[in-house]
Amino acid sequence: MAGTDQLSAVFSALSDPTRRAIIAELADRDATVTELTAPLSISMPAVSRHLKVLERAALISRSRSGKWRASHLESAPLREAADWIERYRRLWDASLTRLDAHLAAVQAADRATDRTADDPRDPE
Amino acid sequence: MNTETPQLVVSRVFDAPRQLVYRAFTDPDHLAAWWGPIGNSLPRDEIEFDVRPGGFQRWTEVNASDPVVRVRIHVDLTDVADGELLDGVMHVGGRLPEGLEPFETRLRIEFHDEADGRTRLEIRQWLPDHLAHPSAEGWRQAFTKLDATLTNVQAVAADHRKAEAWRS
Repeated sequence: MAGTDQLSAVFSALSDPTRRAIIAELADRDATVTELTAPLSISMPAVSRHLKVLERAALISRSRSGKWRASHLESAPLREAADWIERYRRLWDASLTRLDAHLAAVQAADRATDRTADDPRDPE
Repeated sequence: MNTETPQLVVSRVFDAPRQLVYRAFTDPDHLAAWWGPIGNSLPRDEIEFDVRPGGFQRWTEVNASDPVVRVRIHVDLTDVADGELLDGVMHVGGRLPEGLEPFETRLRIEFHDEADGRTRLEIRQWLPDHLAHPSAEGWRQAFTKLDATLTNVQAVAADHRKAEAWRS
């Protein structure tokens, strides 16, 4: 999110309830103008105008391939952060499960060593 | 160092005494036995620990299925209390998996006594700056301002409706 102009464009783009509804739709999946118009009570050209505003604010991008231009929500900044947190949460989960097994094994080995004090395999 | 609320908090209780859990994080042989996702291994001769305030923990993560990747982890320890606390900044670099850029993240690990000789681990981790700032903050500000804007819009609309009702 760079600069005040960009931020102003985002505010004004999101201040419209129809554009907010469009964003909510695109949060689930990419969609064409036709698909976006269906649940709204406005014309397709009106939806197109809203999409132009959202595109100028860099909140959405539109594919140029094929007959249908699908709109795509650009939530990269938020999504990247969420992905990073999720990746580390999974890493910790996996690591701590291994740590749990490791601690059990070390304590079992310690107890075995207590019984046979001359066992040379004890790591500690 | 990052002092705001951490974005990731993990808490888990282990059936082991506190000193042993602490050693699992601060003894190279222990760490190599459990750290990292399955498939990762830590070459023993690349683990260097100097655990004290101002010290460090350094190691390399390799994965047999992807020999190109060699992740270098450098933790600069700022705050250490024996058996209780490890706090510092973790630098992740080296030859990273595709799509991953080097980054640094503050990491704080607390070791607490629990009943029956168990230990509760509290891990706190902070988003790297390039992810937390300015983008996420920018978004937060954007939505705060947006809420203010919408409140005004609604107030204006209500006035408008009132005026219309009065005219009719």
